[in-house]
Amino acid sequence: MDRMSSGQKTVRTVLYWGLPVLAVLLIIVGWITFSASHPDLMPAPVDVWDRFIRTFTRPIAKTTLIGHAWASLRRVLIALLIAWAFGIGFGILIGWNRKARAFFGSIFEVIRPIPPIAWIPIVIMWFGIGEFPKVLLVFIGTFVPLVINTSAGIEMVDKINLHVGRIFGGNDMQILKEIVIPTALPSIFAGIRTSVSSGWTTVLAAEMMGAQQGLGSLVTRGWQGSDLSLVLVAVITIAVIGALLAVILQQLEKVVCPWNSK
Amino acid sequence: MEQQVKRMEIRHLSKTFFSKKGYFTAIDDVSFDVYDGEFLVILGPGRCGKTVMLNIIAGVEDATEGQIIYNGKEWKGLNPEIGMVFQKLALMSFKTVIENVELALKFRGMKKEERREIARHYIKLVGLEGFENYYPKQLSGGMQQRVGIARAYAANPKLLIMDEPFGKLDAQTRYQMQEDLLKIWEKEKRTIIFVTNNIEEACYLGDRIILLSDCPAKVKEVYPIDIPRPRDMVSREFLELRTTISDNTDLSI
Ligand SMILES: Nc1ncnc2c1ncn2[C@@H]1O[C@H](COP(=O)(O)OP(=O)(O)OP(=O)(O)O)[C@@H](O)[C@H]1O
Ligand SMILES: [Mg+2]
Repeated sequence: MDRMSSGQKTVRTVLYWGLPVLAVLLIIVGWITFSASHPDLMPAPVDVWDRFIRTFTRPIAKTTLIGHAWASLRRVLIALLIAWAFGIGFGILIGWNRKARAFFGSIFEVIRPIPPIAWIPIVIMWFGIGEFPKVLLVFIGTFVPLVINTSAGIEMVDKINLHVGRIFGGNDMQILKEIVIPTALPSIFAGIRTSVSSGWTTVLAAEMMGAQQGLGSLVTRGWQGSDLSLVLVAVITIAVIGALLAVILQQLEKVVCPWNSK
Repeated sequence: MEQQVKRMEIRHLSKTFFSKKGYFTAIDDVSFDVYDGEFLVILGPGRCGKTVMLNIIAGVEDATEGQIIYNGKEWKGLNPEIGMVFQKLALMSFKTVIENVELALKFRGMKKEERREIARHYIKLVGLEGFENYYPKQLSGGMQQRVGIARAYAANPKLLIMDEPFGKLDAQTRYQMQEDLLKIWEKEKRTIIFVTNNIEEACYLGDRIILLSDCPAKVKEVYPIDIPRPRDMVSREFLELRTTISDNTDLSI
């Protein structure tokens, strides 16, 4: 019996570790075969690797790949910090205060379906292609999901928990801080996760429309210069950073909401 | 019952819920007194307005009619001298055991060391020593119920309301908790309103039993109990009392 289950366990471990590796291998094999038969459409992995090295030896727009990645990241981070502060604050306000919800709720219902990228032309027409419009675009794209997730989480609080707060002598601020916001934290975190992935997408889209530095600008540059390897280098970097951000957030959530994982 | 000081008087309390489908009367003209220091048991069948009544007494819900007199004065709204053990537990899932227990003390602005010490005292009292840093969902139903009890004790209310606090416990634990509760009550004399739908429990614990009728809740009978404690559940007088009450009880208890 014991041996059976430990045997099953081994099989399972092999599957869980083996399958992702297999998937990656298949993609690479597919990539190699495809690039071998259609070199004009797809550079080989080796070419992409060479191009990757070259981004360090021959800087583009005066900076290396790292500089470009940092340019994108910095824009996102600045915008996100502002969006978190305002979005979460605003979400708490309209989740907690019925009047605020009545007033702002419908506005958000209207703005919500607009994809962040749709703001790009408007923002570029108003503010050009400098740093500010890019940060603004990310802010617009992340603010709305943050407000919606936060306020939904705040509204989720159980009435009986509010009774507990009042019976045990809490005032409004204390109940908000000790009971309501912690209840909403997992939902707020869902908002933060969405904001990071949507912010990351938005900044790249904005950079593709015009920027000196940034991973998005590398994509455009490679595209216009028919340098497909450069496009792929940028795209892979974008994917890796996006995945890293997701992992960091996951760990952070375990620290901030320990009751969910313990 | 030496002391007959009235801590609370409930006068003609009624509660009707109105909805689109019509209305539903949960409490119908209930009046009774709560004496200072007594262990008052409210015994009534399920889904019949007991919890609603307690919420009104604690001031988190409004009555449709009637009034509540506290220490001789009419009282409206939240009463800071009342603490409550909730039937639905209502623990904060995001707080550890000790954080749940110290909630009222934190609200009062007590310093951390001080409130932790008090919280630890009551955690020990309900037998949860060693579980201070657990989250509620890591505990069994019975243990969670004890957290709710410790939280209410720690708030040190003058009037403690307990809404079917032992409902989720198995028989063994239930007897143990009844014993413990009486011990605590005798040590730190405070007024208790204890709600249950268990006749034996009511007879075992109460100074008086207020028997409620089937829906809507009305006071059917008040039984003062003179059997000295600790009560023997198989003694003649205990069984007699139990039979008298159960004969007078609406079927659904
Ligand atoms: N806010 C509300 N709106 C409408 N009906 C309600 C509301 N709150 C309670 N009720 C109804 O009032 C009745 C009494 O509920 P209550 O929870 O007080 O019963 P109870 O005596 O505590 O029952 P139990 O023994 O199961 O705890 C129930 O039928 C319930 O559906
Ligand atoms: Mg109830």
